[in-house]
Amino acid sequence: MQNEKTIASAVAEQEDNRATAKISGEFVTIAAIFGLTFAMILASRAISPSFGSWSQVETILYLSSFLVFCAFGQGLVILVRGLDLSIASVITLGGVLTASLMNGSNEGFLYLVPAILGACIVVGLISGIGVAYFRVPPFIMTMAVGLIVYSLCLGFTRGTPRGYPAPLLSGFMQDKFLGVPAPVYLLLAFVVFGTILQSYSVFGRKLNAVGNNPLAAYIAGLPSGVLIVSAYAMSALCAGFTGMMLAGYANGATLRMGDSYLLPSIAAVVVGGSSILGGQGNFVGTVGGALLLTALATILTALGIEQGWKTIMEGGVILFALIALREQSFAFLREVLGKRG
Amino acid sequence: MRARVLQANALSKRYGATVALSDVSLTITQGEVHAILGENGAGKSTLVKILSGVVRANSGGMSLAGEPYNPHSISKARAQGVATAFQELSLIPNLTVGENLLLPNASARTFWPESKSSILRRAAEVLREWQITDIAPDAIVEDLSLAERQRIEITRALSHASRLLILDEPTAALPDPGWLFQQIRRLTARGVAVMYISHRLGEVREICERATVLRNGKTIDTVDLSGVDDDGIFAMMVGRSPESAFAEPVVARPDADIIVDVRNLNVGKVRSLDLSLKAGEIVGLAALEGQGQQDLFRALGGAVKPSDGKIMVGGQAAALGSPRRALRAGSGIAFVPEERKTEGIFVNLTAASNIALPKIGRASHAGIVYAGLEKKVSAEAASKVALSPRYLGFNVGSLSGGNQQKVLLARALITGAKCLVLFDPARGVDVGTKQSIYAMMRDYVAGGRTILFYSSELSELVHLSSRCLVMYGGRIVADVPRAELTEERLLAAAHGHSQEMKVAV
Repeated sequence: MQNEKTIASAVAEQEDNRATAKISGEFVTIAAIFGLTFAMILASRAISPSFGSWSQVETILYLSSFLVFCAFGQGLVILVRGLDLSIASVITLGGVLTASLMNGSNEGFLYLVPAILGACIVVGLISGIGVAYFRVPPFIMTMAVGLIVYSLCLGFTRGTPRGYPAPLLSGFMQDKFLGVPAPVYLLLAFVVFGTILQSYSVFGRKLNAVGNNPLAAYIAGLPSGVLIVSAYAMSALCAGFTGMMLAGYANGATLRMGDSYLLPSIAAVVVGGSSILGGQGNFVGTVGGALLLTALATILTALGIEQGWKTIMEGGVILFALIALREQSFAFLREVLGKRG
Repeated sequence: MRARVLQANALSKRYGATVALSDVSLTITQGEVHAILGENGAGKSTLVKILSGVVRANSGGMSLAGEPYNPHSISKARAQGVATAFQELSLIPNLTVGENLLLPNASARTFWPESKSSILRRAAEVLREWQITDIAPDAIVEDLSLAERQRIEITRALSHASRLLILDEPTAALPDPGWLFQQIRRLTARGVAVMYISHRLGEVREICERATVLRNGKTIDTVDLSGVDDDGIFAMMVGRSPESAFAEPVVARPDADIIVDVRNLNVGKVRSLDLSLKAGEIVGLAALEGQGQQDLFRALGGAVKPSDGKIMVGGQAAALGSPRRALRAGSGIAFVPEERKTEGIFVNLTAASNIALPKIGRASHAGIVYAGLEKKVSAEAASKVALSPRYLGFNVGSLSGGNQQKVLLARALITGAKCLVLFDPARGVDVGTKQSIYAMMRDYVAGGRTILFYSSELSELVHLSSRCLVMYGGRIVADVPRAELTEERLLAAAHGHSQEMKVAV
């Protein structure tokens, strides 16, 4: 009898009021990384009044755009559980081709741009096909392709890249519009485009699915191979574009121009909250990571800190950002900001 | 009054901002087998994790044999005499049975590794103590069947449990619980308490004395199992009275169209198998473990390539080289595999995105996906599996196993395929979810479509199938019509009894 009573009271409808947070963890991480960048620029002002000015912010935005371009492609590859180590060589390829083929003239500019980027895409297709269909580990595949591409550049230029980018390109890199450098506008447009592509497009959704659970994507009928190849092609396209812009900026190409972007491109993606294991990531976070790294490098250089100390501090900040800016660190914040039912 | 072994007071656990457990209390006494009952997502797994030291509660306290108990890790819990056999087995696949059994102290010596033969000797003793005679201590774990692995997982916990043994769905992969019950009784006779988590009420009634029911992360009550009937327990778990678990079975009309026709299929363990699925029928498949049912289902779903055979789908010859092709072959075959986590869900995507993925084109304009559209597209399929619309916006990883299964089935529905191939669709889900899945299956075939499903629970096959096939040794050895379906008949055929051979298709 007593049991019946307890059942009756137990059966009484109880609302499942366990809830999930209103603020997503991803948003918190992104906000934190931008906050940290901003704080760093402000803090640099305390060291020297010439820092933290608007023109310095402009410079940081300008310089970070190269890293943002190639980190977008890196982010897509990491999203599908890969890694693109050929970025440095493809940047060089884009730069070398830009300088030597344009050869200081605007003639054929409209044909040369797609041709150069197309050559870079071919490199990405090769990496992608090796990874997706021949099951070569991404690390090895892209490293090998990168070595081959670099050697081709070396042979093609006989060790010294010659030529200049089209004046249209180098002019654009120095242009100002409403007092702001033209490339900064390009950067903003690219961020919007990249965010939509990665997080809101059908293509991006499928890439997310493949990276998140490749087996499930296969069972669900997604063309996993094609998607993986296209991520590597996009990465090579972005790297080639970075090389082209760098050549325009420096008014020429060097064989080592891509080297300083490879590891930062990976760091920017990971610091920005993406999982290095794939399946999770957001381009806005990557942009935050790129800005943080660029701001740090710019400030340390301007302070005239020795190279050794500079690298140590860069490593330290990357570690700090990774450890401190995880979403768990902000669990309390999300609770304060409310829940949704 | 027997001495209390475990006392838990007002345990609460949050994951981020998701509350998994709030204010859960229970008491387990010496020598008792205590059941924890509840739907998927009720908080059972979280409770197990707290008790076994995997995670720590945010608030509340526990005591073990009168002393405060607050384990930081599995090994701390074990040191205090609490051992757990996990549902998602925690064995290391590339080590031997013996090494796994003795972990974390696979070597008895500190500075120099113990010799292999000495490890095997110690492990053989453990196996002998717990009456396992058919598994060699030097077998590599990944070569064992799921059922054997589960027994090893349980044995390891048995050998470490000096005060409390926690068994989380111990019979999920065990065809026969007899061995387990015998070991449990030997353990309780020594005064060790057992916490037993299972969806199978029959088993729970056989082995347990009392049960604590959880719902939505809260303790509903602790009851004496002898004083409550199944309906009462169901009502406590779900919060409403049970509908009849199995409605009238569906049977295809004799002149119904054949949707899938398989001739002379050879794949993996499957030997020259013929099979046809008609519109309007739910065809069950019974088999003991490892009779080739996985190969058959994966071949139909396109996940493995058959080495030989002809498959016609909707009247067209189909080469099912990949799941993508299976979905597009004729009227389409949608496959739901058994491994929900590894082959099913995308944990970082929302439930709506998970469901809408095959029809993502419909949730987008000009290549851009809109969350609102996605919810709209997935809502219909979600309603067919009775998935609450409020979960559509949640990441699938934060949903319970039952709801994840509903998401997977909804995704299969949204493909528009006329044939569903479901491998154990209701395995490890709670009664409420089971009912929703059964209702969806009936509704689906009523629309002139067909389902082939495998189940490890005979009662499910008996109640749900229009007819039931039985596989043995890679062949279909029986095709039991609706009127003759009984568990005994299926069991006999599944063991390969020869009198069943005459009805083979």
